[in-house]
Amino acid sequence: MIKVRNLVKHFGKDEVLKDISLDVEEKEVVVIIGPSGSGKSTLLRCFNKLEESTSGTIEIQGVHVDKSNINQIRTEVGMVFQHFNLFPHKSVLENVMIGPIKVRKWSHEAAKDKAVALLKRVGLESKADSYPASLSGGQKQRVAIARALAMEPKIMLFDEPTSALDPEMVGEVLAVIKDLAQEGMTMVVVTHEMGFAREVGDRVIFMDQGKIVEEGIPNTIFTSPKEERTKVFLDKVL
Amino acid sequence: MDFNMNIIIEYWPFFLKGALLTLGISIAGIIIGAVIGLFISFGRMAPNKWIRIPFSLYINSLRGTPVLIQLFIVHYALLPAIYPPGTAVTSAIVTLSLNSSAYVAEIFRAGIQSLDKGQTEAARSLGMTKVQTMRYIIVPQAVRRMIPPLGNEFITLIKESSLAGIIAAEELMYWGKAAMGQYQRVWEPYIAVAIIYLVIVFSLTYLLQWIEKRWVQRD
Repeated sequence: MIKVRNLVKHFGKDEVLKDISLDVEEKEVVVIIGPSGSGKSTLLRCFNKLEESTSGTIEIQGVHVDKSNINQIRTEVGMVFQHFNLFPHKSVLENVMIGPIKVRKWSHEAAKDKAVALLKRVGLESKADSYPASLSGGQKQRVAIARALAMEPKIMLFDEPTSALDPEMVGEVLAVIKDLAQEGMTMVVVTHEMGFAREVGDRVIFMDQGKIVEEGIPNTIFTSPKEERTKVFLDKVL
Repeated sequence: MDFNMNIIIEYWPFFLKGALLTLGISIAGIIIGAVIGLFISFGRMAPNKWIRIPFSLYINSLRGTPVLIQLFIVHYALLPAIYPPGTAVTSAIVTLSLNSSAYVAEIFRAGIQSLDKGQTEAARSLGMTKVQTMRYIIVPQAVRRMIPPLGNEFITLIKESSLAGIIAAEELMYWGKAAMGQYQRVWEPYIAVAIIYLVIVFSLTYLLQWIEKRWVQRD
């Protein structure tokens, strides 16, 4: 589904991604962990070109991602952000409806049916007419997930979806993501939630200083990492 | 000090007529200024430096010189050259429009640039084009943030329109000056005129507060 080859990204003089190659298979849940500044969010943001890579190639569903087809590809790739980025001037329902209406050109009714169903799924149908400002962090993030799902994406990207939440709200958001994983959604999740990574991830990637240091199935990575840097990191966070 | 009410009573119809013209000039100025200012602000935010420079020069020249000088240049030089039938009122509207366009351009720019980058990213990640993102996500939010500073600019414009009296546009200040000239009295005409300005500005302030309460959302 996602095929990354020799991806390099510079911010000015800093090389934040150093020759990354990576494949994500259909229905796979890949969890990326690593210390702050390791480049994991930047990598994720390169997948849908919110961040322009310096060199290297990205293919999504077999299509080479470039400027000409990026809007089309983005409709297939949902993204959830650390800071939710809901549209504050639109109601919860409108937030979820706007993508299908403006981008997919659905009718108002079709988009509304879809939005209501999705809000029900994330447990927020009662908040449909509220505005984002009146929601808690966990609720905002669940709306953001519904907004991304409304486009019926084939792949979901999660950029530290629980990092900006109060601890008691992390669970409700992770439950929604877990539910998606069980349905077979292809997902890449950047997270600091090690328990979640272990439980939901099919594969865990550990990044440090712009490189993939180690990858493998969660149990192996968490219980018997091969690399010293992975050990040091896991000792600190577990 | 004796206060001669009769002067005010005699001039009252002219003061009212002048106040209407003051409002007319100011409203025309803020509307035309807003339209020009919108284009200027997009030029000012262009990614290319060489496109930005002339727009930024335009804004800084208009903000960096007195309105009175701008008014004289427009009235005695610019307008006679390009539109000879222009009157003092035309000159006043042109000057105020140009002047406010510079301020409005900066208000628009601040409104757009104050929005979180995440708004654009969220919209783009749904597959919206740049134009759709501007139209449905950025501009509607920016406009709400612009209402309070635009209101302030309008109030400033109303007060600055009093300069038009100097080139004999028959607005409120002009009639105050006329009354003073006729009776050689300062207090009566100018207090009356000042109070009318105050009433206009206060009413507007209330209107703006009302609009802000209804329209401007809390983030």
